[in-house]
Parts: sequence; C-alpha cells; structure tokens
Amino acid sequence: MTDKRTILITGVAGYWGSEVAARLAAGGRYRILGLDTQQPAEEIPGVDFVLADIRNPLMVELLKAEEVDTVCHLAFRRSTRRSESAFDSNVIGTTKLLGACASAGVRKAVLKSSTVVYGARPTNSAFLAEDHALRGSRRYGYIRDWVEIETFCNGYRHREPELDLTILRFANIVGPTARTPMTCFLSRAWAPSLMGFDPMMQVIHEEDVVEALLHSIYNDIPGVFNVATDEPLPLSKMRGVVGKPPLAVYHGLADWGIAILGTAGLQLEDYLPLEPSYLRYPWVADLARMRDELGFEPRYTAVEALREFAARLRLGRYRTGDSQLAKDENQLREVIDRRQRARERRDLVRSPTGEGADHG
Amino acid sequence: MASSELTPGHAAPETPSEPAPVPPSNEVDYEQQAAAPPTPPVTDEETRRQLLAELEALRQQVQALTPDYQPPPFSPRRLMAFIGDTLSKYPKEVQISVLERLRGALSQDAFDPEVWQGVWYMLNYSVQYNVDLVKRRFTGDYDTDEWGLDWEWIDLVRPLLNFLYKTYWRVEVTGLENVPLEGRALLIANHSGQLPFDGMMIGAALLNDHPAQRLVRTLYAALLPRIPWVSTVLVRLGQTLATVENGTRLLEQEELVAVFPEGYKGTGKPFRNRYRLARFGRGGFVQMALNTGAPIIPVSVVGSEETYISLGKLPTFAEITGIPYIPITLRFPWLGLLGVIPLPSKWYIDFGQPMAMDGYGPDAAHDMVVVSQLSDQVRNTIQEMINQRLAQRRSIFF
Repeated sequence: MTDKRTILITGVAGYWGSEVAARLAAGGRYRILGLDTQQPAEEIPGVDFVLADIRNPLMVELLKAEEVDTVCHLAFRRSTRRSESAFDSNVIGTTKLLGACASAGVRKAVLKSSTVVYGARPTNSAFLAEDHALRGSRRYGYIRDWVEIETFCNGYRHREPELDLTILRFANIVGPTARTPMTCFLSRAWAPSLMGFDPMMQVIHEEDVVEALLHSIYNDIPGVFNVATDEPLPLSKMRGVVGKPPLAVYHGLADWGIAILGTAGLQLEDYLPLEPSYLRYPWVADLARMRDELGFEPRYTAVEALREFAARLRLGRYRTGDSQLAKDENQLREVIDRRQRARERRDLVRSPTGEGADHG
Repeated sequence: MASSELTPGHAAPETPSEPAPVPPSNEVDYEQQAAAPPTPPVTDEETRRQLLAELEALRQQVQALTPDYQPPPFSPRRLMAFIGDTLSKYPKEVQISVLERLRGALSQDAFDPEVWQGVWYMLNYSVQYNVDLVKRRFTGDYDTDEWGLDWEWIDLVRPLLNFLYKTYWRVEVTGLENVPLEGRALLIANHSGQLPFDGMMIGAALLNDHPAQRLVRTLYAALLPRIPWVSTVLVRLGQTLATVENGTRLLEQEELVAVFPEGYKGTGKPFRNRYRLARFGRGGFVQMALNTGAPIIPVSVVGSEETYISLGKLPTFAEITGIPYIPITLRFPWLGLLGVIPLPSKWYIDFGQPMAMDGYGPDAAHDMVVVSQLSDQVRNTIQEMINQRLAQRRSIFF
C-alpha cells in the first residue's frame, strides 16, 4: 500500500468527482482521498472521504500529512448568475488550493476547464489554439469564473514552476447522464437558436471527459489542452440529431430577454444555459495539441455522443414524472445503471484483453 | 448530376388537384426530352438506339448512387397518371404541346416499353430524392466539413451564381491554366464594386470553367459574421473569416484560398478612383503564403467597378449603424432597393502567372521587410494586369 501515490480529488460528491474517483479506484494505482463539503450520495468503494472546504487554511497540513502527490481539482459551482459565493468558492478556492499545493510540495495538479473561456466573437478564427486570448463572456457567472481561474493559472505556472499544472479545456459536454450547459439547453422543449446564425459547435462525450482526466492523471503532461471530438458540426445539425423543432428567435430579443429575466430575479440557467453570443459566433477549439502532445483520442464521435444523449432525452418523455414514487424509481434506476457501469468498467480494467469491448 | 436538375419540376406530384403555379416554361421540355425528342420526329433506327443507350446510362448512373432504391412496379396506366400529375402544374398550352408530342412519338412506334420503364424510373427517383432531402435536413442527417462547408448548399446557390456569371455579367475568363489542378494556392485579387460580387464571380469561374472545378475558399471581412443569414450562408458555402490562422490552415489542407487585401478600402472607393488599387492590408496574405509555401496567383477583375457608380459616402450614417461605409451611387439611395441591383457590365477575370513563395526560408513570414516587399510586388502585378485589360476594353457593357 505504501508505494502507491496519493491523489486528492476535490468535489468528489459531484458528478465528475465521483466518476473520476470510481474509475481511479477501479484502476487501483492510487491511494485516493476524496474531498468535498458534503457527503457523497453513496459511498465510493476505495475512496477515503474527507469532509472539508478547499478554502480551509489547514489544507496545507492535510496535503503534507497525507503526502499527496497529485491533486485533481473538480470542485466547481456552475451558476449562470454572477454569484459572489460561487465566485468565492470557484476562483478564490482554486487560488487557495493551488497555493496550498505549492507550499505542501504537491507534484502536480489537474484542472477541468472549458473552451467557453475563449469567448464567442465574430473576429474569432475558425479554430482557436490554446494560446488564444481568454475573452469569455463576463455576463454569465460560470464563464467569468473559468476565465478568472485560467488567468490566475497562466501567471501561477511561471511563479511556481515546481508544480506541474495540466488544464483540460473541454468543449460542450453531452451524454446520457451529465448535466452541463449544453445538455440543459438541449433538454428544453424548444431550445431556440438565434435567427440567421448557425455557428459550428464542438462536443465531447461525458465518458471521454472522464477518460481525458484519467489520461492526464496517469501521464505527466503539463500544459493547457483543448479536448473535443474531431468533427465540428453546425448547431442546426446538432438540434436535428437531437430532434428539436427548427425554431429561432431574433438575437436582440434573446439579449433583452436575459436582461429582463435577470432583473426579475428568475433563474436563468433553465431558460438559456448558454450565453446568447455562444449560439451566434464560432468558438471552435483547435485540437492539434490534444492529438500531438497530450496523446488523447476521444472514443465517441460527435454524432454518437449526441445520439446517446438524444436517446436518454426521448426515453425521459415516456416516463411518468408525476408521482413521488415514479421519481424515486427513476432515481434508483439511475443509481443501478451507474453502479452497473462502474462494475463493468472494473471488469474491463481487470481483463486487459477486454479493453474497449463495450464502447461500440 | 442529371437527376437533381430534373427535380424542381416534380417536387410534389402527390396532390394533382391543387392550383397550378406557373413554372419557368422551359422546364417541361427539359424533362420530356428524355421521352420525346424535339422535331424532327425520330425515324432513324440509329438515333433511336443512341437515345436508348443514353437513357440506360443515365439510369445506371443514378442506380449506382442509390443501390437500394426500387421504383414502384411499372404499368402504362400508372405512368399516364404520373405524367398527368406532373403536367397539371403547367399551363394548358404547354400540357397540350407535350401530350401531342408524346402521342406523335408513340404512334410512330419509335419507343418500346423499355424506354417507358426508364422514364418511369427517373421520374419516381426524382420524387423520392426530394422527399428524402427534406427528411434528412430536418433530422440532421447530412455532412459538413470542419469549416462548415455543405455541398448541398453549393448546389442550391449555383443556379443564381451561374445566371450572374453567364447571363448577367457574361464573364470572360483567361489564364485558368495558371490555377493548379490540385494542391494549395493563394489567389490575390482586386476588390471593387461596393458589394463583394467579385468574390462570387471568381468562385463561379473556378467552379464552372476550371478543369478540376475547384471550390475557392474566400476569406471575408470581420463585419460579415455579425449579419444574420449572411454569416450562416457564407460558412455553409465553405468561406471563412480573414485571419492568418484560417488562411494558413486552409492552405495546409491543400485548398484554394482567395484573399482581397484591399478590403473595404477597395469596395468602398468612389467611381473616380476606379481601377486604382487601394492600399493593401498588413500583408497577412503574404504571411499565409510564406507559412505554407503556397504560390500566389494574382487575379484581376475588370467590370465590377461599373456595377455601381459611387459618387460619395454617408459617413455619419455609417458611423451610427456600424457599417464600414454607405455609398451614394447614381441610383442608391434614391431608388431604394432598386438601386441595389448592380448594372449589367461586361466582366473580365484574368488569372496571372503564379509567383513561387517557397524560397524565402522559415522565418520570412515574420520579416516585415520581406513581407511588405512581396505585398507591393503582388499589388503592382495586379495593377499592371488591370491596366492591360483596360487598354483592350472597348465598352463597359459589351
């Protein structure tokens, strides 16, 4: 046991944290510490849970005492509103955590970010490389927070060269279970596009997100990398594959709508989880570094990922969500499904020849 | 492909009773030529055999594209019903002339049932094709390349493009042999005429008349992605924003890229400055060429300056609306939208000798001396080509 490296996963009660922790535990190459401010909904076997906030000043002590080698930072509160508390836990939390990592002598840190940090602008090239300026919208809380985190990391990389920093910028994440801005958007009954605008979009399957995080945990490749599937596709095609009606609104109306809803204090996330300019202008990332330096290749194509998501969406239409019992049943079914998938993965890792057998 | 040209006439023959819209009158002749050739009637055995062979070749061509397609079973009555449905959309005189021609062909015994089966197949196929097309567009079952190019959109705009190219401006093209059959090349052209029709015509020239029918990737100005519909259409037609990264990537993918280094300064210049090249930009196009070693092919467009007679500009109004320039021409804004219709001048597009760009070393793209020298050289070449063409031109319109 002692020769194993120790990894600390923040946000382990969340979707990405629990998925990555479960996969790492199945791999068996790390001693895993899971950190979050709340208990995970169910215990993840092989994960040592620690109840704490990443902003806790004693974090240095924890990292030192446990001799943590790698930190995988997945705690992120996604709020479309510019919430001060979310900013504090996202941005200030990350700076404090990375500071603690540096003083405790942690060897490397892996962060999950998003390609929204580039911003959707009419002047954008068709493919944005990692060194492109971070001009993400400041109107939505989560985009602003990611831009702030990344800006901090850019400087921190030079100040603390001892700490290997790997940042993965993911494109729109879609899949049957993950709740992301894009899946929230496409889950709406109408999911309008903006009249006369049909930008190219990139997606990546949720399992490939977990794969990419594991890939950068297992391999030491510091740097910033865009991660997405190879084939960008028009928004209209995405909506066609998912089966949305061809509905479009005038872009000015969408802008005012946001402003009005915002002043009325309504939760924006359910109405327009994607900032309107991201439905209007291109923000497709260049994947040369993902292929050449990171050495990662997604398993799902864009259309496969969307089809899986669409299948779950259609199925959801046929379930009766009215009674509490039915809701409970749905939740339990999801838990059973997830545990089943986790078991399958564990078997997959154990039998080396079975690699990729269930990823058609 | 022949079938897609046949299609517009029979988009929806399911409901024959609905009132008939009046289509362009030459369409019905087009479709019936396969069945009944125009006068003089076929009597010669040789001609008949040729027709049969051509029809069969056409059928096989279509069948090769869609091996799964099976037409409904053939019977004379069904065929006549089908022809009736299709004809019901045309004016009465056209219907009568077609039917008489058909009867003439039949009574001469010039066609056997095999021919009719071929006709039956083609008609059904075109209906099926259109139904499928609509279905596919709605369910997202179509492909674009990574830039957003969709060939079905190209097919959609081609008739308009060809009308402007062949009929309206009667574009005369020389030097197409200077454009390589395959591989990277950078076309640099003068920009003029208030609206960027010259880019469209260079594209049409290469798509129609170049032996390899190459698609040009034109790099456009940063204003266009802000305009609804325009941004979408341009991307679907394979065009992209003018940045050095985009141009370099396209050239690395062995594409044919066109750049108008004058930009707004070229299109927005007043009529008195016509055919005098404006200042070139910061040499981004030279950097693309040096980055990739792609040859630069100078292109001169003559005729587009006369599409609008620009007298001046409305600077204040342009500033308020954020548009780079709003011209005052002989007809705009006085005639309203009528003033936007370009004049039918006669156009000449000349493709010049390629200029090799691969002998300058790896860092040349960052050497501003080299870049600006090459930029000037290209500019002078294009100006010289324009002057030569102007010296030969006798009339603006003929």
